[in-house]
Amino acid sequence: MRVKVGELILALGFLGLMLTLYLAFLWAPSVNINAFESPEAQRIFYWHVPAAWAAFIAFAVLFVGSALWFFKRSPLGWKLHIAGSEAGLACGLMAVWSGCVWGAAEWGTPWDWEDWRLNSFGLLTLLALFLVLGRQSQPDGVESRDTFSTFGLYGFVLVPLTYVATRIWVIRHPGPVIGGDEDSSISGDMALVLLIGALSFTTLIIGHILTSIEITKFEQRMDRLQKKLDGE
Amino acid sequence: MEDKTYLSIAYLGMIFALAIWTWTIVSRSRNMEQRILAMEESLDIKPSNADSIAEINATNEE
Repeated sequence: MRVKVGELILALGFLGLMLTLYLAFLWAPSVNINAFESPEAQRIFYWHVPAAWAAFIAFAVLFVGSALWFFKRSPLGWKLHIAGSEAGLACGLMAVWSGCVWGAAEWGTPWDWEDWRLNSFGLLTLLALFLVLGRQSQPDGVESRDTFSTFGLYGFVLVPLTYVATRIWVIRHPGPVIGGDEDSSISGDMALVLLIGALSFTTLIIGHILTSIEITKFEQRMDRLQKKLDGE
Repeated sequence: MEDKTYLSIAYLGMIFALAIWTWTIVSRSRNMEQRILAMEESLDIKPSNADSIAEINATNEE
């Protein structure tokens, strides 16, 4: 069977993630042991930040797809909506899970219900979960697509809110390491591993979106065949 | 548990979850394609990627 572009990109992204793991564990420099309760757990940052970055890309795709379907009735828009919600859920869960692992080691608790960044990102991931499960449980139709697209459109409000949360309401989640204030900086080696991680997650998510679009096309072909068989 | 052991388990869990997720969508795509091609061939139907819901909606709005 021929290998498709989406599958190739997915495989490339996955290999990149394996490389990121290797570099994060065995090559990236250790942090100052006095600065953290659990200095080794800090290495999860090379996974957590790229996963959150990829989730934001997926939520942007979800927003664009929802808008295209809702305002233009674009079939491609609906495919992007599905791909964005699935990829957003996967990357969102990765970011939440890795954050909980770090929080448990560093703070002594996996979650802080008073922290804006944690809760707004958690809500975004729950929104993606709702869209994925909702689509699977509802019959496909104009009304259900409109409803899910509306959630995709309004849910995107949480993206900029989550992005600025650590700049405005610094509670427990660490502030930005890149693009923050003058104190926010990381060493060259750390930045390189972070960049490889971000590129790998981005590649993976592009591969996922392409494959997901392909699957939606197949589902629609299947639906057409079913209707033909039913004599409609 | 030592820091690094704890981290290794967490990392392995995540890469394993991503591997399963990646494999699931690739195999789902391949299975569907095989089934559709077989059905289209046996029913002698030309492949079409049109979105029937979007088409119905466009017809209703006209």
